Amino acid sequence: MTAALAEATPPRHTARWAAIGVGVVVVALVAVLATRPQAADVVAPSPVVGQPAPEIGGPGLDGTQVSLTGLRGRWVLVNFFATWCIPCVREHHELVSFSNRHEATEAQVLSVIYDDQPDDVKAFFAQRGGTWPVVEDAGAKVDFGVRGVPESFLVDPQGVVRIRLVGGVTAQGLDRLLRQGEAGS
Amino acid sequence: MSAPGEAGGVRAWVPWLVLVPVLVVALAVGAGRGDGRPATPAARTAHVAAGVRCPTCEGLSAAESEAPASVAIRQEIRRRVDAGQSDAAIRSYLVGRYGSDILLTPAGSGVAALVWALPVAGLVLAAGVLAYTFRRRRAEPRRTPTVEDRLLVEQAAGQ
Repeated sequence: MTAALAEATPPRHTARWAAIGVGVVVVALVAVLATRPQAADVVAPSPVVGQPAPEIGGPGLDGTQVSLTGLRGRWVLVNFFATWCIPCVREHHELVSFSNRHEATEAQVLSVIYDDQPDDVKAFFAQRGGTWPVVEDAGAKVDFGVRGVPESFLVDPQGVVRIRLVGGVTAQGLDRLLRQGEAGS
Repeated sequence: MSAPGEAGGVRAWVPWLVLVPVLVVALAVGAGRGDGRPATPAARTAHVAAGVRCPTCEGLSAAESEAPASVAIRQEIRRRVDAGQSDAAIRSYLVGRYGSDILLTPAGSGVAALVWALPVAGLVLAAGVLAYTFRRRRAEPRRTPTVEDRLLVEQAAGQ
């Protein structure tokens, strides 16, 4: 009787189908995460946005004194970075591109060294390009509320922080934000 | 608790009367310990940093973490301690840079004050409910067994 029932009812293999379903979902998730573009130009809130930019000042890589107030009258992208930070390395050529496009006109980059050695930074810029001022100011990262690197702040010509960007940036994204900022000011 | 005038009424109050000064002394000692400001600038820096969240790590204060952001916060706190700023002014500065979530201790104003107010409100409510329940239970008339009840008990005992 039992044997006859077993022959009549086909096996359901519920566990097998459940495992296959879970496997398909996991593979799809990994594929989506692996192929999507990396987050860049991510605008994040900060208490310093809308406030006068804290002063940044200190010795530049060439020994001359660098200050943020000395750049008043232009848009300044204050970029906190370190040579040991992989996203900073990835975004550097984007900063070079942005700087080359705007250096002679309305905007420029000011890099602030974040927990790094000046000699390493010199070698980094020599190898990867970039002629904008680079400054070492230990207090600036707390004044700007920087949580990690890379982190950037777009400061308008009046010296007010307009945007905080966490993670890497792109030249295209910065151009767009700059246009938005100029339109809003 | 007994009504005034009843025999033993004062005796019933004695434990409560003893408890009140013990509670007051314990609270005073506890509050006094909290107010004691660290003597040296280094100790004050550590004290303030212990109440500040490490911006880049989970579950650590800026005093415990060696992350660059925490080290920078400790250095800034020390600089401000040396400049003579109060603990409250330093915390206010950090909130102005990172936001209120940088503090491990919630603020005493705004929505964050609910964290402090709700437990107290809950305690008061619970005490009120307990007092009401005890009072109501005491107010209920004492039931005395009826003749039928006694018969039932006797029958049960006789079996």
